[in-house]
This record gives sequence, structure tokens and C-alpha cells, in this order.
Amino acid sequence: MVSKFLVHAKDDYVGVATYDIKKGEEVDGIFLDNNQKSSLKAIEDISLGHKIALRDMKKGEKVIEYGEPVGQVTKDIKKGEHVHVHNIKTMRWQ
Amino acid sequence: MSVFRGYERENGRIGTRNHVLIIPLDDLSNSASLAVENNVFGTRAIPHPYGRLQFGRDLDLTFKTLAGMGRNPNVASAVVIGIEDQWTQQIADSIAETGKRVETVSIEGNGDYKTIEKASRLARDMVRDASDKRRKEFDVSNLVVSTKCGESDTTSGLASNPTVGVVFDRLVDEGATVIFGETSELTGAESYVARKCATQELRDKFQKIFDDYQNDIVKEGADLLGSQPTKGNIKGGLSTIEEKAFGNIQKAGTKPILGVLDYAEEPKVKGLNYMNTSSAAAEAVTLFSAAGAVVHLFTTGQGNIVGNPIEPVIKTTANPNTARTMSEHIDLDISGLLRFEFDLKEAGNRLYNVMLKTASGTLTANEILKHHEFALTKLYISA
Repeated sequence: MVSKFLVHAKDDYVGVATYDIKKGEEVDGIFLDNNQKSSLKAIEDISLGHKIALRDMKKGEKVIEYGEPVGQVTKDIKKGEHVHVHNIKTMRWQ
Repeated sequence: MSVFRGYERENGRIGTRNHVLIIPLDDLSNSASLAVENNVFGTRAIPHPYGRLQFGRDLDLTFKTLAGMGRNPNVASAVVIGIEDQWTQQIADSIAETGKRVETVSIEGNGDYKTIEKASRLARDMVRDASDKRRKEFDVSNLVVSTKCGESDTTSGLASNPTVGVVFDRLVDEGATVIFGETSELTGAESYVARKCATQELRDKFQKIFDDYQNDIVKEGADLLGSQPTKGNIKGGLSTIEEKAFGNIQKAGTKPILGVLDYAEEPKVKGLNYMNTSSAAAEAVTLFSAAGAVVHLFTTGQGNIVGNPIEPVIKTTANPNTARTMSEHIDLDISGLLRFEFDLKEAGNRLYNVMLKTASGTLTANEILKHHEFALTKLYISA
């Protein structure tokens, strides 16, 4: 399997694509903090620099990246989905 | 424990460079200062547009910054040129506290020609004396290292900023002093930064600085918050202001914050320090250098090319396009981290080694390309 994304911290819910990832592609990613690997199937195209869901997330849940909450889920997200402004938003303004 | 080869100053502080600094007190003295720089090899002038009819905190900060540049251990000695002698003396007195040689020359009653001749003769002797100093081996705990990112993109949060974080952690473990800033860019991660503060007193101090900044923005009717992340950020994959802030703050590493500093304030404790700075690259690096930082670690995504007159600015990028298209500005390309050619620890080792070499005298891209940006932070209008 090809490594195509990086994960900042071990408990993060998202990884960041370091190559363009195609829908249906089986890819793995490496955790920056401990060099462990995580494998999954992308269910959407994910462009370089964009986030991929490492687990299912429910609407209203906080998204963890860098080991910290960085946003709130606005509609349910499936593992392998593209995570961006269409399904998460800032927690600062309603 | 790592070592580097630096210059020991009269007050025991260690510099990585050996400049003779020509400091114009005000905008009117830029011309003479630049003439001296042109006349005398080994000198560096720091022209700027201010120093007249400033008042209160704003005047204090300009003076503190000018004096701080002279006090920095990367400076062997300094000539201060000003239109009126009582003001130049204030800067000189502050620099003289470090024990290094400082001379003043005033233009009023003399004119530029006599001023330039007098200052050039002084600077000539200073350069000869400075060149007589030799580098000696010192422990890295003597270093004061600052960091800032510019023209950031997703590669910054993903790779280059965490790489600086690894270096900062190692420097703290080895007893050095490290400084980060960028108050505005912390928005979204300010509660995390507050949590990193070692004591409640530091936490309160940080929170006040942050709240004052937010109030200034509101007072000006600006909406810096609603515009973050920018369209370009979103296109690149950043979704929220929190995510952007956490990408930025990776540079600070994982250690507790032991010092909270005002603009250009010299750190009093070793370890991780936060300084209130603008997020504009030249202003922030200027404030760090005025606080005594002797090496700077600068990360860039799309290619910021900032330098500083006295503090070498090491530029690293994880964006392979920037590393290729702007190679003359980049000291270390760590894009291999994103291609899985090496891991974060190795990227940190590489940057750490470049830092040690730079501290020992290897020139950075900004020095070779003569990027000597000196930008004063202005707090409000002049009278």
C-alpha cells in the first residue's frame, strides 16, 4: 500500500493528504508523533493538503487534529470521507 | 550537549555574528548612516522611517527596539547617529549597559558631511577591533533562538512548523532560550497557549496581551476574525481558524511557557518564551532581534523571503515547489518529509544541524542575498 497522508497526533480523527488521493483508493498514512501506520479506503477524492476522516464522526461532535479540537461536525462524516468546510466549521462563531 | 562557535561579549552573552551597527535615531539620520555603511566594510546600517515626534509607549518602543539592536550580542559595537544629541545619548546609554563600545554623533550644528566623516572614522576603528575577536566554543544553552512563519500553506502546519517544534523542544532540553510570538495568528488556539503557560501569573499576562489585541481590532472596526481562514487557506485545505492556529503553534514545541514578554523585551528565563509581536514577518523578526535573539528559524510555505540586519534568518520549507522555484532563499528543503523519505525526527535533526552551523558562522540565504529588513512596530500615530 502507498503512504499518502500524514496524521499529526495519535488520537486525531483526521489525516492530511500529502498526495492527491483518488476515490476508492486503499491508502495508508503515518503518524508524525510515533511513526505508526493507519490504513483505510478513501470514499471520495482528497486533494493534497486536504483532510481525510480516519473514523466516523457524528454531527455536533468535535473534530480532533493536532490532539486538540479544531472544529465541529456539521453533518455526519464516514471514515474515508473528505473533511472540509462542507462538513465541519469553527467552534468560535455560530 | 551540543556546541557552537560564537563571539563572547563583555556581559557574558554569546553572539553568532560580529557586526558593527550604525543606528540612525530618526528618519533624518538615515542618509548619514547609509553613507557610513557604504564607507566602512563590516558595518551595517538600520534605516527606518520614524523617531520624530513620537510619544508615550510608541516612542518607548522605538527607542527600546533601536537600543535592543545595539545590545544584541551579534553586535560588537555601535555608532548612534541622530539629529539631536540628548536623544542619541539615551540609546547609547542603554547599549553601554552591556559593556560594549558605543559612540554618538549628532548632525545638528555639523551637517551630514562632518557627521559622516566623524562616524566613519569611529566605525573604522570599531571594525578593526571587532575583526580581532575570535569565535570560541560554547554550549548551546547560550543561544537565544526565535521563530516565525510566513506565507504559510498546508505544508507549514503539516511539516515545517512541527520540525521547528522538534528543534525548540531539543533546545529547551539543552538549556537554551527560545521565543515565539505572532499574537494575531494564535487566534483559535489562544486557550491552548494559555494552558501552556507554567503559572497563573503568566497565563493572566498572556490573556491580557491577547485580549488587548482583540480589542484593538474591534476598535478599528476590522473583521480579521471573520476573514480567517482566507480563501487561499481554504483552497489549500484549511477548514477553520482553530486548525490554522494549531498549524502555526506547532513551532513552539511541547514545552511549558516560562516567560511572557512584551514587544522587544529581553527574556529573563531560559526555556520557552512567548513575545507579543505582530504577525508581519519583518516586524516580528525585528522585535525578536531587538530582544537579543541570535538565530532565527523561519518556516515558509509559499515563499516569504524576509531577513534581518543582525540576526541570521534560517529559512526552511516543506513545499517542494517553493524549494525549487525560490531555491536562492531557502536554507533547508524538508519536502522529503511529505514524500515519506524521512520522518519528523530526522527533519528536526537536519534543521538543528543547520542552526548549529549558522550559529557558528555559516551564512544564511538572507545574509548572502542582503535581505536586511528592519521594521519598527508602530503602536499609534505620531504627534
